[in-house]
Amino acid sequence: MVEIGGQEMPELDAKEIKTFEYVRPEIDKGYANQTLRVDLSKPEISVEPVSDKMKEVFIGGKGFGLWLLWNCANEKTRWNDPENAVCIASGPLGGTPTFPGSGKSIVTAISPTTGIPIDSNVGGYFGPYLKFSGFDALAVVGKGSGDTVILIDGIDQKVQIFDMPGLPEDSYGLSAALTDFFAHGKEQGISVVSTGPGAKHTLIGCLNFTWYDPKRKRVRYKQAGRGGIGTVFADKGIRAIVARWDGVTLDSNRPADKETLKAVSKAYSKEIRDLDPKQNEMSRVGTTHLVPIMNDFDLLPTHNFRYGSHPGANNIGREVYQHIFDPGFDGCWKGCTVACSHGVRDFVPVTGPYKGQKVFVDGPEYETIAGCGSNIGVFDPFTILEMNFYCDAYGLDTISVGTSIAFVMECFEMGLINKTHTGGLDLGFGNRLSALELLHQMARGEGFGAIVGQGVRRMKEMFEKEYGADPEIMKDIGMESKGLEFSEYMTKESLAQQGGYGLALKGPQHDEAWLIFLDMVHNYMPTFEQKAEALHWFPMFRTWFGLCGLCKLPWNDIVPEDNKDTPEPAKVMKHVQWYAEYFSAVTGRKVSPDDLITMSEAVYNFQRIFNLRMGQGRREHDTIPYRAMGPVTVDEYESREERYDSQLREKYGVDPSGKSTEEKIAILRKYREQEYESLKDAVYERRGWTKDGIPTVQTAKRLGIDFPEVLEVLKKHGVVS
Amino acid sequence: MIKIGEEQVPWHEGMTVSGLLAQREDGHMYAVVRLNGKLISRPKFDTTPIPDNSEVILIPMVAGG
Repeated sequence: MVEIGGQEMPELDAKEIKTFEYVRPEIDKGYANQTLRVDLSKPEISVEPVSDKMKEVFIGGKGFGLWLLWNCANEKTRWNDPENAVCIASGPLGGTPTFPGSGKSIVTAISPTTGIPIDSNVGGYFGPYLKFSGFDALAVVGKGSGDTVILIDGIDQKVQIFDMPGLPEDSYGLSAALTDFFAHGKEQGISVVSTGPGAKHTLIGCLNFTWYDPKRKRVRYKQAGRGGIGTVFADKGIRAIVARWDGVTLDSNRPADKETLKAVSKAYSKEIRDLDPKQNEMSRVGTTHLVPIMNDFDLLPTHNFRYGSHPGANNIGREVYQHIFDPGFDGCWKGCTVACSHGVRDFVPVTGPYKGQKVFVDGPEYETIAGCGSNIGVFDPFTILEMNFYCDAYGLDTISVGTSIAFVMECFEMGLINKTHTGGLDLGFGNRLSALELLHQMARGEGFGAIVGQGVRRMKEMFEKEYGADPEIMKDIGMESKGLEFSEYMTKESLAQQGGYGLALKGPQHDEAWLIFLDMVHNYMPTFEQKAEALHWFPMFRTWFGLCGLCKLPWNDIVPEDNKDTPEPAKVMKHVQWYAEYFSAVTGRKVSPDDLITMSEAVYNFQRIFNLRMGQGRREHDTIPYRAMGPVTVDEYESREERYDSQLREKYGVDPSGKSTEEKIAILRKYREQEYESLKDAVYERRGWTKDGIPTVQTAKRLGIDFPEVLEVLKKHGVVS
Repeated sequence: MIKIGEEQVPWHEGMTVSGLLAQREDGHMYAVVRLNGKLISRPKFDTTPIPDNSEVILIPMVAGG
């Protein structure tokens, strides 16, 4: 046994199953110009060229992933079919070491919880190392042995499939062990993608993407969390995919215009270095600053999205974690000046397999704090750390875990389920030991935790069929749409954000559109048309980051000092212009800010049509639970009675006096549901979609995605013009 | 005096965050400020006093997500 970063490493043995040797291509203007396909069933490893058309339409990253997935799958493909692919790609700008936030990987697959493509944008070094090893994207299909490890070795120019029995079960131990095994003394040259036992036993598994932290001499990781991508990975019998590379410079992408790239990178890095300390201090506190702010604006989900604030929130935000985080300038990619990847050293869990041992926790970020904290009624920063640690180690998505546990806690408090169903667990809000026990059960695939790990949509069906629970109330309080659990923002008072979640292609995840502050706090978009415009521009621009291998945080979490004086401060156009210059400098394709939107539109509409191909992607699939629009229960209404009464009176001309709370809830609901449907109409029209939410043929043609197979899908669904 | 970035602003008894922002042309743009290192959000602007010699940082926009 050797020790790495405080962990004892087992002796490992790798049995070679397949080796594929290749000649690594020179990267040219951000592209390797080929993709890698690994079929685990055959087993077979092959390389496929990237055409100019593929680059023009799909750009890279998520676009390449979706295109590869489209070609691997068909309309009948289910998440656990061999032809479902786990695709990983960075993008043409990915791997630039000086421009902030340029190390992202985007993972795509058919999701086990939604049945449609899911995409997840994640830090760590894997995507850039994959590209510099010679591949713009990777698609893994088929099924492995259960002990399968794939090595992409850009240094020795070979791709290998190994059988490696005896690896540590959890991602925490596994990623450290594999880094040690493949590093040959150069740990910084290794990035590991892995998951853990929770992914194997639930539908809400995540993937961990590593980088090596030389200061702490330990492996760190970030998560591709949403939609059960880790579950697909585990179902394929893969333990890990490892990339090996050495040395990254500004020349690694062989940019078309290095001088412009240097200039724009330097300007952007400097701005973030200068302004982040004056703004959100992400390099010191990560995203924990959002907790008190969301709480103050009644936007922090508490008790399954019933309420938006809680006095205990002061214990779980920036004020506390700034003292708990291990100090350091922690980026998940080389040279990123946002440096928001904080962690906690020497944390000692009080439950589970690591009970009593010192561990390093990567996080928590805002979403984990809200999901595994306030939303389940837990306001103890150390319980949140423990939930964070085990979710990552077990390979579970902290957002889906949090929202799913919040749902069962409310079902328990409402009497829809009881201790006979939960295996004796008291699931009242705030019961932190029960929450942790559910997590351990998910990892073991046992008990009520195994049921919670199926996600909210399946639990609703099961509780109705097997426990006789009321389906109507569960429809209102079960916070999922398209089968994906909501991420952690309250939307009741922001119609635009209701659309941001409900109209998101993959389900309610905030990375597509986060409009709460712009809509509710700043009131930048009072009309339906303005909301629809925002629900066009913002999702498109945010999509662009995923096409290029970028993080969105530098764009608008740090803003220029004169931004407020610009015509459209919400768009932070100075930064958008810099992104256009960045793209032009690397790829040689001269683009304007408007071109970035058009690039994204093509991929965005393609993904919508992909949903349609899989039997979704229509208006009915953009439905959200009423809890996302307004108060479901009497206590919810009465807790903000003044607000709701005043809206009835002033906005809808209804006198609330003399009416029971139930009557007022019903009236408010009628108006709010109508508004949401009107919003859909306005957004569909703005996006060039039919009233049923399907891109028209004209839209497909305008965007250059009118491939015969795309038009065939549209035709099959009655769209011919 | 209080300090807003590099700018010195006269302090007066009873000064609140709301009062300070009301004096500024761009005051409506700020939903959050940092007062002596602590985040204060708009719902608390009216009730948060600014002590003399405070340091205030105006946070232009909260992007989140």
